[in-house]
Parts: sequence; C-alpha cells; structure tokens
Amino acid sequence: MFIEVSFVALNMVEIAVLLKQVPDTNAKIAILGGRVDESAVTSWVTSPYDEYALEAALQHIEAAGGSITAITLGPDRADKVLKDAAALGVTKLVRIWGDGWEDLDSNQVQFALVDAVRASGAELVYCGKQSADRNQGSTGPGVAEMLGAACVVEVSEFDASSSSYVRPASSGSEKVTVSSPAVITFSKTESDLRRPNVRGIMMSKKAQIDLVSSDVGSSQVNFNGDSSPAEKPPGKTFQGSDCIPEVVGLLRDEAKVL
Amino acid sequence: MSQTSCRLFKGEDMVYEALDFYDVDSQLSEEEIMVRDMVRDWVDAEVLPKIEHACRDGVFPDEWRVALGEMGVLGAPLDGYGCPGLSYVAYGVICRELERGDSGLRSFASVQGSLAMYPIWDFGSEEQKNKYLPKMASGDLIGCFGLTEPDYGSNPGGMITKAEDKGDHYILNGAKMWITNGTISDLAIVWAKLDGVIRGFIVETGDEGYSAPEMKGKHSLKASVTSELVFQDCKIPKDRILPGVKGLKGPFSCLNNARYGISWGALGAAQACFHSAKEYTLSRIQFDVPIASYQLIQNKLAWMLREITKGQLLALELGKKKDDGSWIPEHISLAKMNNVDIALEIARMARDMHGANGILDEYCIMRHMANLESVKTYEGTHDIHNLILGRHITGIQSFTRSE
Ligand SMILES: Cc1cc2nc3c(=O)[nH]c(=O)nc-3n(C[C@H](O)[C@H](O)[C@H](O)COP(=O)(O)OP(=O)(O)OC[C@H]3O[C@@H](n4cnc5c(N)ncnc54)[C@H](O)[C@@H]3O)c2cc1C
Repeated sequence: MFIEVSFVALNMVEIAVLLKQVPDTNAKIAILGGRVDESAVTSWVTSPYDEYALEAALQHIEAAGGSITAITLGPDRADKVLKDAAALGVTKLVRIWGDGWEDLDSNQVQFALVDAVRASGAELVYCGKQSADRNQGSTGPGVAEMLGAACVVEVSEFDASSSSYVRPASSGSEKVTVSSPAVITFSKTESDLRRPNVRGIMMSKKAQIDLVSSDVGSSQVNFNGDSSPAEKPPGKTFQGSDCIPEVVGLLRDEAKVL
Repeated sequence: MSQTSCRLFKGEDMVYEALDFYDVDSQLSEEEIMVRDMVRDWVDAEVLPKIEHACRDGVFPDEWRVALGEMGVLGAPLDGYGCPGLSYVAYGVICRELERGDSGLRSFASVQGSLAMYPIWDFGSEEQKNKYLPKMASGDLIGCFGLTEPDYGSNPGGMITKAEDKGDHYILNGAKMWITNGTISDLAIVWAKLDGVIRGFIVETGDEGYSAPEMKGKHSLKASVTSELVFQDCKIPKDRILPGVKGLKGPFSCLNNARYGISWGALGAAQACFHSAKEYTLSRIQFDVPIASYQLIQNKLAWMLREITKGQLLALELGKKKDDGSWIPEHISLAKMNNVDIALEIARMARDMHGANGILDEYCIMRHMANLESVKTYEGTHDIHNLILGRHITGIQSFTRSE
C-alpha cells in the first residue's frame, strides 16, 4: 500500500490591486457648471469590477500565500475604498494624490499607478476591466504597457488551485495561465464577494494608509466639460386588443425582453 | 462567507436611501459607518428577498443565524470572551439596520445579545463566560430569555417558576411563555425563585425535564420563533446558577439593553415604511396626478419625516449616554416607548397611503405594521413605560394598588 500525496506547488505572490472610488452606481449624478457635482454624490463606493479583482486577489493569496497591496488614486475621500479593503484583510494600503490632480488624463493616471505598483514590489496587478464612472477601460492595458507586463483582460473566473484565468473567447471561453509580471483585468466573476465582518472592520481602523505622489507630467487631453445624458423619450401607450401584435413585436425586436 | 450582490448589478427596486433628514449618521464614527453598511448590504442581499417566504412558513432561516455570527454582530457592545466590543451606538445602528429588514430578525439579535449573552457576561462565573460567550458570539450557540409567564407579564416579580436546592443540583418547576428563540435555542436564561428570591439559571437543551414547544398562530413576528419553556422537575447542575445577581435587577438589567436596541430598531422599520410610502405615492396616479401631490398625502409624509427625525436624535443621544454611562433606565423607557409608538403609527399610515396594495406582501408595510404590534407589547408595554416615567416624575408608583 502506498499513499499518493499530490499537491500543486504554488509560489507566494505579491499582488497589487487597483481600486477606484466611484459614485454609487445607483446615485443620481448632477452636473453643475459643466462638471459632475461631487458634493451632490451621497455615496461613494469601490468600482464594482474592482471588487471582483480584489476578491480574486484574496483567493489567490489564500491559496498561494503572499500579500496584497491595495492602491487607489484619489482625494481624501478615496481612503474609504482602502479601509474597506483593509476590512477584508488587506494590510498594505497606498493612496496616490497630488495638487491639482482633478483632471488627470489616462496616461497620467497610469504613470502614477505604475510608480506605486513598482514601489509595492508586486509581480501581479489585478484591477477591474473598466471603472463604473468613466468606463474607459484603459487603466489595465495602459499599466501593462508601461510595466512591460503581459496583459489578460475581461477575466470572468479565477481558478485558485491552478492560478489560471478564464476569459470569454470566440469558442466560448478560454483558460490561460500567465507568467509574471502580468496585469489582469476582471469583469464580473462567478465568485461571491466576501463580506467584511466586525473583526475586520476593527482591524481596518488600525490600518495605515501610505500617501504618495508622482511626477505625472502634463495632460495631453483637454477636458471640456461634463453633460447629462439625453432625457429618455416618453413611454409609448397602447390601447385596445388590436395593438397586441404590434406590442409583442416591439417587445421582441426592440426591447428584446421576449 | 456568504455572497453579496454587487451594486452595479442591483436592480433599481433595491435602492434604499435611508431617510436621514438631519444627517444624524454623520455623527457616527468611521467604524460605525462600516458596520452600518455591512449590515445594510447584507439585509438588502439576503434578508429582503427571503423575508416574505420566511413569514409565510413561520420560520427563522438558519442561514441568518450563521450570517449574523460571521459578520460578528451578536452581543455587539460586549467585549472580551470573543464578543465584538463595539460601542452602544454601533449596537443601535445594527438593530436599526436589521429591523429595516424585519423586526423578527432584530428580535433574534436582541435576545441573543442583550437577553442571553449579556446576563452571562455581567452576572456569570468565569467558567460560564468562557464556556458560552465565544460560541454565542459566533452564532454557534443560540440563547433565549425566560422571564414572562402565562400569569405574569407586566408584573414579572410575581413569577411562580421556582428552583430548589437539592444539595448537588437544582430542580426547576414552572412554565415560561412568549419566549423568543425558545425552540431553536441551545440554552435558556431562566429567571426563577430560589427561596423566594429571583435568580438566573442557565438551562441547556437536553437537560432532564426541560422542553420548549413552539407557539403557533402568530399574526406578528412570523419570522421569529416564539415558544413556551416547560420545567417539570428539571434537573440542572449547581454551576448553572448566575452567581452575580439577585432579584429583579437581573432581568431588568438585560431588558435595559434590549429596550435600548429596540429604540433604534423601530426606526429601521419606520424608515422602511416611509421609503415605501414616498415611492408609492410619487408613482401612484389618481385623479390624473401622483397622489404625492395632494396636501393630505404630503401632510402625512411630513409628519413621518418629523417623527423619524426626532426619533433618530433621541436614539443617538441615548446611545451616547449608554456609551458614557450617564443614562438612567427612564431615559430608555422614553426612547423605547416613543420610537416604537411612532414607528407603528407610521406603518399604519403608510398602509393607508398604499390603498389596497398596502395589504399585499409585495410591500413591506403591513408586515412591519403587524410586527410592531408585538414590539409595542414586549420589553415593557407602551403603558408600562408611561408608568415608569410617571413614577419618575411624581415619585408615586401606580403599578399596583397594594403596598
Ligand atoms: C412576540 C413576543 C415575543 C416575546 N418574547 C419574550 C421573551 O423572549 N422573553 C420573555 O420573557 N417575554 C417575552 N415576551 C413577553 C412580553 O414581554 C410580555 O408579553 C409583556 O411583558 C406584556 O405582558 P402580557 O402579555 O402578560 O400583558 P399584560 O401584562 O397582561 O398587559 C395587558 C395590558 O394591560 C396593561 N397593563 C398591565 N399592567 C398595568 C398597570 N399596572 N397599569 C396599567 N396598565 C397595565 C398593559 O400595558 C397591556 O396593555 C414576548 C411577547 C411577544 C408578543
């Protein structure tokens, strides 16, 4: 009789997770003087896809060992996303900010993030595929480019046992592993996001946030102003049984709910 | 860990904007806000989608026990022995957020924390604390609190349940009624007379001569388990008496804490009803315009806003007093009585404003309304709190004609 011992040898990993603070995706956005009126935003949250990136990072280090550095770029209020990450067990927290940084363009943002990633010593960078406010989707690939790192985007599943990533492909989905340095951007994964608990919240109170800045050069993109989306057209009203075929047709072909 | 739904993917109907007219929550600490958001998100994701089923089936879903333990909110203001060690304000906020979901859920947490863990924490022996508290904080052990009897409700001092010292053990005889969590609990804190003096005992499920049959047929707090506790020559070891307290002070100390939590909890139910009434009256068209545009409706909404705001200020001020120790029981009576009273009135008013829809379980209001009827009665009825305040003002007790 013999006992077969099999285990997957995983290396300890250092992961930097990029977290962006955005207005609560359910919050009403007001424009004041050609700008989003931040003072009218009642609640700020971590951008949802970034939460999936953080969850994957937590699962990754649970399986492999290592540590996570949570990095955000934002004003004072953005400390909240770091504290929330701390409540889930992240111990290294970095916020990047500088004077007059309200209108950085994406290159500048990536410069600053790359500096912080380098300083953290991380070999893997996890982030959301796009932020819920600007939806540009440029951060992950941009950071990868500047780091000279591999980049896998729109990952929908992280497999902790084999450190592999699943992403949509023309065949349905593809599973990849990647050698570091690498940047992975996440969409909504199958994973349930973990909830903080009181113990974590108490720990987060003690967590230190490192405030850093960078030389990001000047912006190449001029910001000309925000505007609200066009008003929704008024709803259509149908009366009488005669219009049933038309309504069914519209529901099927236009609204695509049937 | 339990799952949470991501905000981006929440349906519109799940958006809950808590009414906080005076921005009372801005006085909370960062930690208290994080605890609030944790519980609020959990209620959105796990409680609201399931509460109506739980009520129809008359069950307290066991997964809620597990989640409360995982979140670490049970016995919130107690510290040491694996307990959370939060402020009383945080405990209040937790009660408010839970009761926004359902009063039955908050009742579970109140009983576990304030009525079962607290007496062990304050009056128990070192061994009792070590044995029970860590597992109660994690939700692995559930407790209940047996004070009320069929013939002694507002007047618990007259209780009949008695304990006898039999040398190496105690024998309990009697019955308790209306006991929250009774049937699902692993241990009961039972108040009984030993040589005529009220003492607290820990009775474990499985102790000889102890049973806890469930009471059925409630129209209120349907998602909360309510039971009788029956002691027929129930034999318990000597080390199960709570050594640290004698007389009514024991149960009343527990009730002070639970009542404090209720003063916050009721606001959660009231906020949920206000939220529903506001949304409904803005969207319901009668006589060609939203009913919210009529003065009568606006008068009602304004009254709700006014009472909830006053209640919030009252609860927060009381919470600060609990934290700095400057409270007296009468402060708690005032807050419990007032906030439950206005919550019930708001629920009834909201029910009316929803018209026929108001009786459907699609809306939370009738459930809150029915629940709050219990909340008005338990933990000292509305009028008993009036009498407590009356005695405080005049120095004359009016509970009984004797003496
Ligand atoms: C759902 C639910 C859960 C409960 N859970 C628990 C529990 O976990 N543990 C526990 O021990 N108990 C529990 N109770 C019991 C609760 O605490 C009692 O119901 C409450 O104390 C009132 O007692 P009673 O029902 O006997 O009413 P009574 O005392 O008979 O009161 C009936 C009415 O008479 C009034 N009244 C009584 N005395 C006076 C007076 N002197 N002057 C003027 N008016 C007076 C009251 O205000 C009330 O309006 C629960 C009750 C309910 C409904």
